[in-house]
Amino acid sequence: MRSHRWFTPWLMVLPALAWLAVFSLWPAINTLLLSFTNVRTLSGGKVVGLENYRAMWEDDQLRDALVNTVIYMLVCVPLLTVLPLLLAMLVEKPIRGLAIFRTVLYFPVIASAVVVAVIWQWMLDERGVVNGLLQQANLVHEAVPFLTGRWLLLFSAITLTVWKGLGYYMILYLSALGNVDPTLHEAAQVDGAGAFRRFWSITIPGVRGTMTLVSILIAVSAMRIFTELYILGGTTGGVGGQDVSVVMLIQSSVAGADGRLGYGAALSVLLFVIAVIPMAALARINKKASA
Amino acid sequence: MLSRHKVAVVGAVVCTFTAAGCGVGEGSGDSTTAAQQSVSAPAKLAGTITFQTWSLKNDKFTPYFTQLIAAFEKSHAGTKINWIDQPGDGYADKVASQIKSGSLPDVVNLPPEIAYQATRPGALLNLAKSVPTLSTDYVASGIGAYTYPGVDGSYAFPWYLGTDVNYWNKDILGKAGVSTTALPTTNDQLMAAAKKVHDATGGRDYLISRKPGLLDFVAAGVPLSSADGKKFAFNTPAAAGVVDKYVSAYKSGYMPKDALSDTYLGNSALFEKSRVGWTTGTGFFIKDLQGKSPTLAPKVIGSPVIGTPPLYAQGISVAAKSKNLPLALEFAKFATNNTNQLAFTDIATGFLPGTTAAQTDPRFSKSDGTAAGNAAVLAAKALPQAKVIQPPTWTEAMSTYLNQQLALALTGKQSSKDALDKAVSKANSLL
Repeated sequence: MRSHRWFTPWLMVLPALAWLAVFSLWPAINTLLLSFTNVRTLSGGKVVGLENYRAMWEDDQLRDALVNTVIYMLVCVPLLTVLPLLLAMLVEKPIRGLAIFRTVLYFPVIASAVVVAVIWQWMLDERGVVNGLLQQANLVHEAVPFLTGRWLLLFSAITLTVWKGLGYYMILYLSALGNVDPTLHEAAQVDGAGAFRRFWSITIPGVRGTMTLVSILIAVSAMRIFTELYILGGTTGGVGGQDVSVVMLIQSSVAGADGRLGYGAALSVLLFVIAVIPMAALARINKKASA
Repeated sequence: MLSRHKVAVVGAVVCTFTAAGCGVGEGSGDSTTAAQQSVSAPAKLAGTITFQTWSLKNDKFTPYFTQLIAAFEKSHAGTKINWIDQPGDGYADKVASQIKSGSLPDVVNLPPEIAYQATRPGALLNLAKSVPTLSTDYVASGIGAYTYPGVDGSYAFPWYLGTDVNYWNKDILGKAGVSTTALPTTNDQLMAAAKKVHDATGGRDYLISRKPGLLDFVAAGVPLSSADGKKFAFNTPAAAGVVDKYVSAYKSGYMPKDALSDTYLGNSALFEKSRVGWTTGTGFFIKDLQGKSPTLAPKVIGSPVIGTPPLYAQGISVAAKSKNLPLALEFAKFATNNTNQLAFTDIATGFLPGTTAAQTDPRFSKSDGTAAGNAAVLAAKALPQAKVIQPPTWTEAMSTYLNQQLALALTGKQSSKDALDKAVSKANSLL
């Protein structure tokens, strides 16, 4: 007797497929469909074709958001790809109290992003502790506008992102470093290779896959930057709204009883497209390097 | 030629798209009809309704509402009022979700701007159709707050209302040589006084610390909308002149540098710390200050606001799709009748009742001679002239954009005219 019909495997995966269709596929399709309408939160809309995409072209805040997002990515990707690797190499050594160092470095990852951002906001405010210390040390005469300057706010948020992300990516590198064969280092050392040479020729190739993964993860999360800028800049992108991010624009578009769901959906589609670009580029670079 | 699979996929996408198109394009004919129906109370009310307030379930107000509901249920045996309260954060979003899901409570506390959005899908009952005494029982400014251009009817019982009074720190004015008996009554006089305070304290203290806004444009006689009320049109030379005065004041250091940031502490908070000499507040501001800052309170005096007094209104609306409209309407009338409103404003100090009968109540027209009492009377006197400054079509997104453009103007990154042109253009595109 045949115990399996052709559809038996399909029955097995059906719950997962249904879950995927309802909670991943349909929202994505619906977002795309909504992007061609002018539907609002409390009023029905109609299909408007590419009107939302045309409106994006004229949205000066979107231009600022794209500039901010690209800068965010260009600064965060190298910093968060390299610094956690160096940290991981430091805390990899079998020294006394190592667990404490690892815990301390991982601590910012556990803390809530909102809480951390609020604390940084207090510290960086014009009447905050950082400005207080700088003024007391006579390093500056007027408060530094960390949260109100166009570029200073962006770089304050980048600093916060890097500080908060170091521990998480360090853990990824720690596991990758554990897989690098120690005999290679020993052999290179016997051959007279210095620390930098061994790092470049043995460590880097050994963790290349993890570096690519980390770069892609950072690039995608940089594209979706929200909390840091939202809290540090006071929810509307700093003075003049020039430090707004794409996700902040999506949030402000769809919020409230008069939210423009169609326009927000079009922005989401744009964000998806631009998030795919660095992913594809990094994957291609990695493929070439591995070949 | 397309394969059968491709045809099926394309067909599915087309069907889905068409369905979505139909879905989002659903008309609101039924809803509008529901909103415009008239309701008359039967001889005996019965059943259950839900009553929703906004941030009012707490130690201070819960006893009032418990008694209010008990009194109503007692006088209408067989009725039950379920009272629910929503925290203030994101209230507009919560109401929007309730309307979308068809779960808007039968009787609901709404400010004018949210009520306006709710009228679009016909979610609220037009009270003008069912309450013939609406215009005689409630103050005109309160009814005006819930009457919208292009929308027939009125959509809430005015409940508790507020307006602003100017407050001044006598110490700061005195040090700068600004008369406390001839306080500024125009924006020009305000700016001149701000300069005096700045110069007298070497830039340590400020008189003003806020960005200009719609209120300032209205005070300068600038119409916010076009004659037909369909477009915003406050990008006039007069409005640019108002902004220019603030640009000059900001550039000269008459207001704090961080006043443009959204993380800014706020004019009122700085006033309470005696860093700013002028603020606006409700008629209860000084009494409130007596608890928060007892040393500052005796130094504060009030005066009428510059220009049109702004009206802050809270109303009680009835859901057009309520399954028990007669009971919902009767309870909304009961909660907002003169007796209950007077009792409510006894607790909600600083606010004024929305009934016409209350306007002659001596408690709102006789001062005890103190600065706090004088301020309360000033607020009550201003109420009949007070107006909701923001047009109902003005949204949070427009407000944010205007603030951003004005901030760029104040920092010299663009001209006042450009800021206003951009704000008006954006606001009209968001309509």
